[in-house]
Amino acid sequence: MNTRPLGETGHDSSLMTFGAIALNWLEQEGADQMVELVLDRGVNHFDVAPSYGDAEVKLGPKLRQHREDIFLGCKTQEREYEGAKRKLEQSLNRLGVEKIDLYQIHGLEYEHELETITGDGGALEAFRDAKAEGLIDHIGLTSHGDPQLILDALDRIDDLATVMFPLNPVVVGKDGDEYDYKAVLERATQLGVGTLGIKAFAKGSWPPTDELPERDRPYSNWYEPVDTPAEIEERFDFAASQGMTSVINPGDPKLVAMVLDAAKRYDGMTEAAQRSLIERLRHEQSPVPEQLHH
Amino acid sequence: MNGSGLECDIDVPETVTTALADRPVAGSVCLEAGAGVGNTTAGLLEAGAARVYAVTNDSEHAKLAHERVVRDNGNRAVVLEADLRCLPLATDSVALITAHGLFNVLPPASLETVATELTRVATPGCHLVIDDYEPLPPNAAVRDLFALENAAAELVTGRPALTFYPAAVLRRLFVGHGWEFDREQTLLDPVPWTENHLESHAAVTRAMASNVSTALEASITEAADNLVRTIGSESVGEMYSLALRLPG
Repeated sequence: MNTRPLGETGHDSSLMTFGAIALNWLEQEGADQMVELVLDRGVNHFDVAPSYGDAEVKLGPKLRQHREDIFLGCKTQEREYEGAKRKLEQSLNRLGVEKIDLYQIHGLEYEHELETITGDGGALEAFRDAKAEGLIDHIGLTSHGDPQLILDALDRIDDLATVMFPLNPVVVGKDGDEYDYKAVLERATQLGVGTLGIKAFAKGSWPPTDELPERDRPYSNWYEPVDTPAEIEERFDFAASQGMTSVINPGDPKLVAMVLDAAKRYDGMTEAAQRSLIERLRHEQSPVPEQLHH
Repeated sequence: MNGSGLECDIDVPETVTTALADRPVAGSVCLEAGAGVGNTTAGLLEAGAARVYAVTNDSEHAKLAHERVVRDNGNRAVVLEADLRCLPLATDSVALITAHGLFNVLPPASLETVATELTRVATPGCHLVIDDYEPLPPNAAVRDLFALENAAAELVTGRPALTFYPAAVLRRLFVGHGWEFDREQTLLDPVPWTENHLESHAAVTRAMASNVSTALEASITEAADNLVRTIGSESVGEMYSLALRLPG
């Protein structure tokens, strides 16, 4: 699998990052096999979080066995110093490793959180102390939130090494600042910040629970994912061709092998094909009264 | 691509923004020939057009384009319900003309008159952008639906509903009217013909068929329904953008 430089970290990340939340739905033996599979296909960047059930614990054994081959990302939803410090210690403990390569602010959503994180006694202080102690190497941020907020964070946190955010043809096809994750990609790239893509495989929301109860959903993702090899491939190709450093698999373990296959075979996507995909999904999403043309 | 110059909630299609990206839209008086439901008009306004004349001969389209785009941008855009062969615009009055998905609905017999009329209203130095479809490859399934639509249209109106002109043909047409070729690019490859597109074409076919004999109507309608069902959707063909310029 090809790699790209992860911003200015000095690490070259595989085109696919393994979202280890997938391990949460597997027994230990299956989890071990999954890690072997993604390593065998050339993935060298893993991402996990304490909020992913027991994924950290299940990742542990194989992570320790292959520690040198894995660039490990982890994250915390804590916004203040003490909480972040405690969560980092807990993750190191549960993963059973000495160091996390990339530690990220997880799921930034509101402006006031950014104030807390960057302020005195905020989580970033704890991150920086941990970096000085050698417990982490790089600082990152993840968000499904407002692109303007992520842009703001990029401006305000000058030691940010990576940023993780949604990018798929549906959001690229929409105008309006609330969908403008392309602006985040452009700014991050300018700043030399590595870019990690999530929601690349999102198809849409699940039907309302009175139509399809949560327990009857065929995938564990909180959104409905695309799930055929052709769709997975075009979604992967789209995200990678936009210039994201690396694209993260959807969380359900049943989909991981298809994403690995797409990532391994990636060889670019023409701009006309990118527009073709945007156009197709645009029309499926919001039919205008008459659609004879594009 | 966030609309600084546009007061409406339309997501301007990528095909439109791509075709306009290298054209001097800002500050120009523009003519959108074949306005459809207003998507290109929205793109022109977003790109800073000084004024847009959105021309369509379809009163339903005129109403939709007005409601979706023009109403809230009242000083900068106007919908003209008019025939492209006889525009209610002065000679040498527009600096940029767009024809986004227009030519495929023009029958061959209209090409010359429309080209003459567009050239008449164009100022010296005017830009022309033609976005349309290359003929579909022989194995494309959607060809069968378009063939049915054309057959029904020919029976009822004596004209085809759709003709996919190669970019080279339209280029030569306008070069013959004094325009100079500027550039060609591929907007879509493949072209995504979605279920909604197919259903829209089937609807046109059924509407045409309602004007022929009852027996023929039934068989055309059944054939259209079958094609929509069996094809579903198909990504095939190419949409191009052609840009030309008048000397001066």
